[in-house]
Amino acid sequence: MSPLLMTVLLVVGLGFFARTMYQRILLLMSLEPADRFNRIKDRLKNLVTIALGQKRLVGRKKERASGIMHAFIFWGFCILLIRSITLYGEGYVHGFQLPLLGESSFLGYLYLALKDVTEGIVLIMVIYAFYRRLVVKPPRLHNTWEAYLVLGLIGVLMVSDLLYDGARFMLVNAYGNPGDLHYFNNPTFGKEFVWTPVTVAAGNVISGFSAVGLERVMVLMFWVHIITQLIFLNILPFGKHFHVITSLPNVFFKSPDYPHEKIKLLDLEDESVWEDETLGVNHLYQLNWKQGLDLYTCTECGRCKEVCPTYVTDKPLNLHDFNDTLKEEMYANADNLILRAKLAKTLTGNEEADAKTKEKMAVFKPEKALVGEVIALDTLWACTTCRACEQVCPVTIEQVPRIIAMRQGQTLMQGEYPEELNTAFKGLERNGNPWGIGYDKRADWAEGLDVKLMADDPNVEYLLWVGCAGSFDDRTQKVSKAVVKILKAAGVDFAILGTEEKCTGDFARRSGNEMMYQMMATENIETLNNYKVKKIIAACPHCLNTLKHDYPQMGGHYEVIHHTDFINQLIADGKIRVKKSLGGALTYHDPCYLGRYNEIYDAPRSILAGMSNQGLSELPRHGTESFCCGAGGGRMWMEETIGTRINVERSREIVDEKAETVAVGCPFCLTMIEDGMKELDKDEQVKTRDIAELVAEHLA
Amino acid sequence: MKILTTVKKVVDVELNIHVENGAIVEKGLQYVINAWDENAVEAAVQLKEAHKAETTLVSLGSGDNTDMIRKCYAMGIDNAIHIDDPALAKADSPTFAKVLQKVYEAGDYDLVIAGKQAQDTDAGQAGIMLGEFLGIPCVSNVIEIKVTDDTHIQVSRLGDAGTEIVDVTLPAVVTVSDSINEPRLPAMRGIMMAKKKKITVMDLAGLGTSFEEIGGTAPASEVVEFMPVQKRKGGQKFEGDPADITARVVQLLVNEAKVL
Repeated sequence: MSPLLMTVLLVVGLGFFARTMYQRILLLMSLEPADRFNRIKDRLKNLVTIALGQKRLVGRKKERASGIMHAFIFWGFCILLIRSITLYGEGYVHGFQLPLLGESSFLGYLYLALKDVTEGIVLIMVIYAFYRRLVVKPPRLHNTWEAYLVLGLIGVLMVSDLLYDGARFMLVNAYGNPGDLHYFNNPTFGKEFVWTPVTVAAGNVISGFSAVGLERVMVLMFWVHIITQLIFLNILPFGKHFHVITSLPNVFFKSPDYPHEKIKLLDLEDESVWEDETLGVNHLYQLNWKQGLDLYTCTECGRCKEVCPTYVTDKPLNLHDFNDTLKEEMYANADNLILRAKLAKTLTGNEEADAKTKEKMAVFKPEKALVGEVIALDTLWACTTCRACEQVCPVTIEQVPRIIAMRQGQTLMQGEYPEELNTAFKGLERNGNPWGIGYDKRADWAEGLDVKLMADDPNVEYLLWVGCAGSFDDRTQKVSKAVVKILKAAGVDFAILGTEEKCTGDFARRSGNEMMYQMMATENIETLNNYKVKKIIAACPHCLNTLKHDYPQMGGHYEVIHHTDFINQLIADGKIRVKKSLGGALTYHDPCYLGRYNEIYDAPRSILAGMSNQGLSELPRHGTESFCCGAGGGRMWMEETIGTRINVERSREIVDEKAETVAVGCPFCLTMIEDGMKELDKDEQVKTRDIAELVAEHLA
Repeated sequence: MKILTTVKKVVDVELNIHVENGAIVEKGLQYVINAWDENAVEAAVQLKEAHKAETTLVSLGSGDNTDMIRKCYAMGIDNAIHIDDPALAKADSPTFAKVLQKVYEAGDYDLVIAGKQAQDTDAGQAGIMLGEFLGIPCVSNVIEIKVTDDTHIQVSRLGDAGTEIVDVTLPAVVTVSDSINEPRLPAMRGIMMAKKKKITVMDLAGLGTSFEEIGGTAPASEVVEFMPVQKRKGGQKFEGDPADITARVVQLLVNEAKVL
């Protein structure tokens, strides 16, 4: 077309883009390190399924329509990327063709057809997207001008390319190709236009134009397409559409195995960390680069807030705003962060020399405190760590580890946390349980049940980890007794630790009190390792999660199984039999730390289905999208004073399902839902029961 | 203003306390800061935060109180004195009050804040006796302290019939109730940083006195024996027709309980 113009546009467009990206990458590199270059095979798998496969967009029934819309636009982009290269080439060489995709090969024709249909589909999807934003207006969406601008640009890209080709088609077909335009022509596959129905249709729209007019349209559309594309590219890094560039790497670098980055094991003995405020995230520069990439990638689609128990009940935590606020703060302080990181690299380890550098580094300080000013305290403490947001996030943003790291800063460094936690922390410190009941009463529930203690028989096959609730809470003690009854009926060789068991430290860790967590973990691991414990049955998903995923960081390696999983196995092995005698409508509430954290969804359902004579009916929000009871992440020990109550919201859902029994597998859920039922005055109609209690009652 | 606050380490009363041969079984016991003293520390720190006071803590007893004192440092206390003397292991309230008097006299304090009693003995005497020995005003069961000026405070005292507002001339002793405040949990960072803070540890001789001088050798009271708390029997549950139940309950009250 015009090598000069093309060169100018590419140099300016790509040059500016490269400069922006360089700044963005530099900013990421100024953040803390994160080891995300291992496990390449697993990462590629995630990339293929979650990013390229658009799993979380098309996979959710509730969001399928918009998911398909997005997937087609995304796949369209992937396909049309090749087309862009061809068009850049066309700027220099008339009839430019890519190797393998030229007119001599079938592939070339196939690509033309694919490109043609894709443009048509993307255009329809853009129209649908406009319709959704303007007419349907889903509440989760931020209706910003940026969204319309980007949709508009995509529309222009499709229309301009179709009209460019359409005009070419008309000139060749209706006017005998006066400008000797190039088009694919091959004796075997024919003229290219046979393969491009959408282009032909576009050509027909402008069939009224004269040859001169069509030629002008063709040239104009070509340059409109190129310029729009470069503008589009340059707009991306400045808004939420940065995800177009960052989501693929973000998914690639996501945490493998455990659903999100494991909480960092902090070295609390190192005195300097206390002096330098380097525990947890107190400042922007303490985020790691992957967390920064998460912020770049947030698309503000709002799926996170829609499933968030706190947002739904009017708490101030709005996850995409949270991300956006942090991102804007990061951009506003980009220069400071980069300069600070440069200085940090010059630290020598020599105290005297470093003192000066540290002094200089201290200058690069944002105006506002990260937590308290940029992010409000109520926002930070609202989270129940239920992971619903992470489970639905199409670009795999990890919210919870970041929130916990910020809580660590607050709890360890600033001493700023909801004061109700004091009682629980104190109880933990003194008596190894958040209730603060004397540690020597821990095994009182088992009196008269003839339960062995590890101290008496350390060679048992299983340790039954009772947990604090199962030990001290009157209601949950009934669950512990039921578990014992089942294990005894099945002839399982097990013991409990009795007064030697302490809280696993789950709630302390998730409310940022790493010190208290490590205190608990150290003592427990020492006890467990002394007894050479190998297999643990945990009667609480929070204990399960901590024993299984947190303790290995500190040298505690055990095979940990949740009681529902274990009971299910006992039934499958024929060691116990349950009667199908549970009457009334039955439903199941998935505990977050059992489901989303440990992917145990089937075992509880299989047990319940085998017991109920009416079958198990599912709640609207179940499985991976189960709705939190409100007690995770230390929230069990904090007041819930803002908005409506999460447990009541969940209980109402259960009542609306007309359930007569709601089964749970977690002591926190048991307490919260039972309380919710009382609040709704439905505790007589709807019974909240742990699966173990139901099994114990229906043993054959 | 210089504030002295007194802190005692007590047996954690959340635990079952076992008694054998008239003495408490030490095994399995753990020791914690007396809850009311935590309120006293919190009150002192709050006054410091509001009025530029200097706060000093004194703990008495035998044995290591470092952990407890570090936490008080982390709460915001400025100085700490620990009177560690084996002779104090079984001292009574007046003896302790005498030691506190010595500590008070060695410093130049304007206000002593003590917990109104200790969780282990529930005696509630040491603070009040200290006021008496020093001959300065003492107000007990305080739920609010307001500084009027350099030499006066106004305190609210919870009485049986309501709240008394008392103007007090300094120096004075106040003993505080647990409803005066919610003690902060010491920040982790504070506890770690407190490792570097100095704790002045001395025995009675170091304080310039002796067990005899403070009356320890001729105590006013002595513990003779500990007895376990009798466990309450569980209640009885009656089910069935209300009329039948009433008849049975009345019969039991008359014949078994013999209260009617």
